[in-house]
Amino acid sequence: MRFLTQDPTLADFGHDPWWLILLKIVVAFIFGMSMILLGVWFERRVVARMAVRPGLNQVGPFGLLQTLADGIKGILKEDLLPRTADKVVFFFAPTVPAIFALTALSVIPFGPMVSIFGVQTPLQVTDVPVAVLVVLACSAMGIYGIVLGGWASGSTYPLLGGLRSSAQMISYEVAMGLSIVAVFMTAGTMSTSGIVAAQAGGSEASWSIFGWHPTVPSWYAILLIPSFLIFVVSAFGETNRAPFDLPEAETELVAGYMTEYSSIKFLLYLLSEYVAMVVMSSIIATMFLGGWRAPWPITAFWSGANSGWWPLLWFLAKVVLLLFIFVWVRATLPRLRYDQFMKLGWKVLLPVNLIWILLLGGLRVMQDEQFSGRNRWLIIGGAVVAVLLVALLWPARKAEPKTTLEEQMSARPSGSFPLPPLDLQVPPSPRAKRVVAERRPANVTASGAGSGQVADADTDADEKEV
Amino acid sequence: MGGYLGSYATLGLLLAVGVLFFLVAMTANRLLRTNRPSAAKSTTYECGLDPVGGDWAQAQIRYYVYAYLYVLFAVEAVFLFPWAVIFDDPGFGMTAVVEMGIFVGVLALGLLYAWRKRVLQWT
Amino acid sequence: MSTVLAAAGVGAGEAWTFWILGPLAILAALGMVVARNAVHSALWLVLVMLCLGVFYVVQAGPFIGLAQIIVYTGAIMMLFLFVLMLVGRDASDSLIEVLRGQRLAAVALGLGFAGLVGAAFFRALDSRDAIGLAQANAEGNVQGIAASLFTRYVFAFEVTSALLIAAAIGAMILAHVERHKDQKFTQPDLMRARFAPGNYPGPKPGPGVYATSTSVATPGLLPDGRLSDRTISPILPKRELTEAESTPKATEGR
Repeated sequence: MRFLTQDPTLADFGHDPWWLILLKIVVAFIFGMSMILLGVWFERRVVARMAVRPGLNQVGPFGLLQTLADGIKGILKEDLLPRTADKVVFFFAPTVPAIFALTALSVIPFGPMVSIFGVQTPLQVTDVPVAVLVVLACSAMGIYGIVLGGWASGSTYPLLGGLRSSAQMISYEVAMGLSIVAVFMTAGTMSTSGIVAAQAGGSEASWSIFGWHPTVPSWYAILLIPSFLIFVVSAFGETNRAPFDLPEAETELVAGYMTEYSSIKFLLYLLSEYVAMVVMSSIIATMFLGGWRAPWPITAFWSGANSGWWPLLWFLAKVVLLLFIFVWVRATLPRLRYDQFMKLGWKVLLPVNLIWILLLGGLRVMQDEQFSGRNRWLIIGGAVVAVLLVALLWPARKAEPKTTLEEQMSARPSGSFPLPPLDLQVPPSPRAKRVVAERRPANVTASGAGSGQVADADTDADEKEV
Repeated sequence: MGGYLGSYATLGLLLAVGVLFFLVAMTANRLLRTNRPSAAKSTTYECGLDPVGGDWAQAQIRYYVYAYLYVLFAVEAVFLFPWAVIFDDPGFGMTAVVEMGIFVGVLALGLLYAWRKRVLQWT
Repeated sequence: MSTVLAAAGVGAGEAWTFWILGPLAILAALGMVVARNAVHSALWLVLVMLCLGVFYVVQAGPFIGLAQIIVYTGAIMMLFLFVLMLVGRDASDSLIEVLRGQRLAAVALGLGFAGLVGAAFFRALDSRDAIGLAQANAEGNVQGIAASLFTRYVFAFEVTSALLIAAAIGAMILAHVERHKDQKFTQPDLMRARFAPGNYPGPKPGPGVYATSTSVATPGLLPDGRLSDRTISPILPKRELTEAESTPKATEGR
């Protein structure tokens, strides 16, 4: 890893004067809040466009103030407390996910070292050696808000929704935690600013294609593509977004854990979903898409793209792009069934993750320990052959013995449903043909011989007239 | 504020600001909103029927198994994190990878067991 | 790394954190013991564990602090919550002691634990200066933990996996009932059971159907005019009608 001059290191954090800390916190807070307002607007607008509707366009220019109006309306609504609710838990549960999601914003690097009122400081609220773990801890704590909200309502649908949601989130939390491991392995650090620095600039490859040393892409989205894909999928599961929005599956659970909530508490749950989405997008941008660094074609002809305040722009662009993908997926994919969802999490994402981590570890160590080229290829080839052999020799599931239809029918136990005769052919009614031919000969020839059904329907109607 | 604690204090401060913000929002809501409680409003939602009793249904036991698997793999992840940071430092290398391979392999047996016993099949 | 240098002595920030969160942790621990509701108890315990996590961070162990929050507060307390919901909220404490002599054992173990903690306190307060923190964290906290975990304590680390998997398999054996394929009912099985003598194959009339009232307590009428007991929920109490109630009011048929 090489540090450039504008790269903040861990030593740069924790030295800000108090007013700067307050300023950063307030700005981070305002960023989170305005991203919620804009995010809801963005989502409704984009989904509308994808459904060929105009979308929000009544309040303010392009309907931008609609979210604000909805928020104010929500605050003025009556707050209902179910008789059976657990009052204290019912009160504080909605705040938990929102608060912890906002806390996770503090370790997101928005940019390099900048000068704010004459003080050189990183454009990041704070960074610690275990910053990514802070994000994980925050998302683990956020689950409490949902399971407790569902429990405290004292009602069936919220309880089921809360349980489902928490089981879903813990399942995908596992996949998410493990997919980060590959990033740590490559970057050698857990601090977010360190991970961004580790993705700086491609280095020339040690191998060559006919004398040409290609530049190895430095974004972990490309280098560690299995981790990237797993992380993105589990980010969808973790934020309860479509196609994994099972806890609020209206057809099954009314509104899930939010059923009994109204007024500002309902808004808080809604809001925390969007904060979580923004935080997840920022984390994906930071860990896999090079953070605040400008993407490749820009850096090729503009050397100043990664200094000063410009990186804020690249970072926001990446976040908005990821938010768009969140919305796009929601507009495209139908909701999964719960068993399919759990199967994906535990039987696909988790095992693939474990194998990938160990494989990556082995490869990297072989690279470090300077195996000569032939030995390395021998080992890799041996591993591939072993995997192929296992895959080939794996005892296949016992093939079902082929039975004909007659055998299957005679094997049915007595008392089964009667089957219609399989060779049943309904002969065409000669009378119907005659009627059609007599009355509307032009129609038959126009629609051709294949559309016999249409012709039959016509004749039915005609017969009634007769 | 010192360099070490300063970074974490900022985290705590943001948490405190978050709590404060939502307390203020809740108080504002309490002052602004209408409040006309009635017996019908305080019943729980039951698709148009009158709910009978307070419904604190019992959870299904399979959630417990999933929570246990979560504990298993959370612990594994916590062991994997420090390993990931140091495994290719000088002095570790292949030994560290093999050590972790054994650890992950043993835990993967648990997953395999659950798989074979159809615990992971949500029916 | 310079991040650990400031943690060598007890700084003002550390003292403040301790004096604010220490009492909070004790209060939360008391709340856990005193709370009547089991879920509230678990939530107090979550607060205690969060405080502990912060204490670890303050004492220059950021990794262990966050591991505490992720594993204990995140995973294990979630397991507790699930178990509590499994039991149901209204399950009251059983006052019958199942384990014989557990009070005695509890008192003895409690005294022993208090002795251990007291001894540790005594040694800690005996104006000893902690040494070795700077060396242990010399290359960063996470790196230090990893270095000792994968060299000195590698056996304990591997045994941990065995412990974890044993516990997980135990939980699965207790909680999961495996169904064999032949225990699934096929459609002919279900149909035979439905038409078996003693079972009514058709859909049953709902309560109040063809009756004089829409009350759920009014039995439905069978085609021949008799009352059908099967239409009433079995949990409804039966009572005999009084003479005045059962005499016809002579309001029908005029």
